[in-house]
Amino acid sequence: MRINWRVVQNWIVPVVALVAWQLFGAAGMLPRYLSTPDAIVEGLWEMAATGELLAALAASLYRVTAGFVLGTGGGVLIGLAAGVVPAVRHFFDPLVSFLYSIPKIAFLPIFLLLFGLGHGSKIAIIAVSCFFPVFIASRHAVLAVNRLLIWAAQNMGAPPRTVFFRVIIPAAAPQLFTGIRIGLAHAFVVLFAAELIGSKAGLGTLISYGEEWVRFDLMFGGIVCFAALGFFADRLLLVIRQRVLKGQIIGTEEQVVR
Amino acid sequence: MTAEARAIVGRWYSIPLLLVVWGAAVASGLVQSRLLPGPGAVWDALTGETANGALVYHAGVTVSRALTGFLLAALIGIPFAAAMARSSLVGNLFEPIFFLGYPVPKIALFPVFTYIFGIGTPSKVAFTFLECLYPIVVTCYFGFSGVQTRLIWTAQNCGASRMTILRRVILPAAMPSIFSALRIALPVAIVVVVITEMIGDSIGLGYYITIWSTRFRFANVYAAIIVIGVCGLVLDQAVLLLRHRIVHWERERA
Repeated sequence: MRINWRVVQNWIVPVVALVAWQLFGAAGMLPRYLSTPDAIVEGLWEMAATGELLAALAASLYRVTAGFVLGTGGGVLIGLAAGVVPAVRHFFDPLVSFLYSIPKIAFLPIFLLLFGLGHGSKIAIIAVSCFFPVFIASRHAVLAVNRLLIWAAQNMGAPPRTVFFRVIIPAAAPQLFTGIRIGLAHAFVVLFAAELIGSKAGLGTLISYGEEWVRFDLMFGGIVCFAALGFFADRLLLVIRQRVLKGQIIGTEEQVVR
Repeated sequence: MTAEARAIVGRWYSIPLLLVVWGAAVASGLVQSRLLPGPGAVWDALTGETANGALVYHAGVTVSRALTGFLLAALIGIPFAAAMARSSLVGNLFEPIFFLGYPVPKIALFPVFTYIFGIGTPSKVAFTFLECLYPIVVTCYFGFSGVQTRLIWTAQNCGASRMTILRRVILPAAMPSIFSALRIALPVAIVVVVITEMIGDSIGLGYYITIWSTRFRFANVYAAIIVIGVCGLVLDQAVLLLRHRIVHWERERA
């Protein structure tokens, strides 16, 4: 049997790290706050059995989905409008360029007071964080559409509606997805920070409970779940992107992290 | 009014308009002025807290932490990306760590960092380093591996040594992607430092925001938010200026 060295090289670093973690942890050579992988799996199992994990997962998932959909939807709609209509662009450009450099998480204390400790404040802050990268990508995407394509469509008598839906949107789609992907990454960062700073449910809260109870296996269990959630959300977006852009990305040299 | 002045007004009217609407809404009592103080109150807080040095001190803490983590990530990440792109062994060893780890929200690891590095500056710098390392390595990796092979062949044909090729061909060709990596990572550094300071610290702008919001002094909170925005803007402009000087052969696309 031939050994595929590429695959071996790909996996050797993570596997060695994991095995070393387990061995040194079991031998008691690691600090106590680094629970061994088998303890983490056991902790996960324990939380899953009591239903805690599912409840936390559901709360986090609901918040991130609602906030992401609201923020991305708003960002795409207003961004496309800003790309097409100069008046909208001139209204939003100065505001966005000023607000963009501010970490939106800084507004969290204000959102907590406005919307309370529950779902509302998290959804609102996630939506605001997602909005900006998506808006900017959509606006640039429309402006970057090749004018020749639009002129060609207009020359053939296409009404503005058709030009918008059949020319501008498909041409802008790849860049739209880039912005949406950045928005998704922002959503998870903000979700975690919001749940750690002020919340009563969710994976972030579970992780801070694990710290408080000095149950580091539960803390790591929460961390693993949160990381997995973010990872698979991103993969899902890439799959959707692949579907939507089918035919557009064939033959082009794509530089997408996958 | 000249056409030029009209164009400027047309492009920038929304910021003063927002300020006017904000002031009017607060003055008329439509919004609670405790949660949203008027522009005047925020301005007073901004100038007062800048004059007595509080904002300057906390901003200095936040910016120095962000820059330390960011520079460490750049110093280590750029050569590392070059090694990954130019050597298939290094590339194969570390590609999955960076490419599969890229979409993972690394912020979840912050509690572990506080256990390892303590709650003060070291854990913030270490975490900022990690958060900046990913975009820098990934973006620079594409830059280094996208260098056209015929450029390297030409240099080899002319008898250039490996070091010369790296320094005079590969590095300049990858320079635009290095700068876009830096421009992606710098705001990340600031956001991450502010978030981690909000989670737990006793200095820095993130702490400043948390402490004044628990004291219901929102004018100070908004003042700190403005300071963060200005810091981000200034740092981004600095990177752009540096790019303009170093990558003088390629104009940046806005």
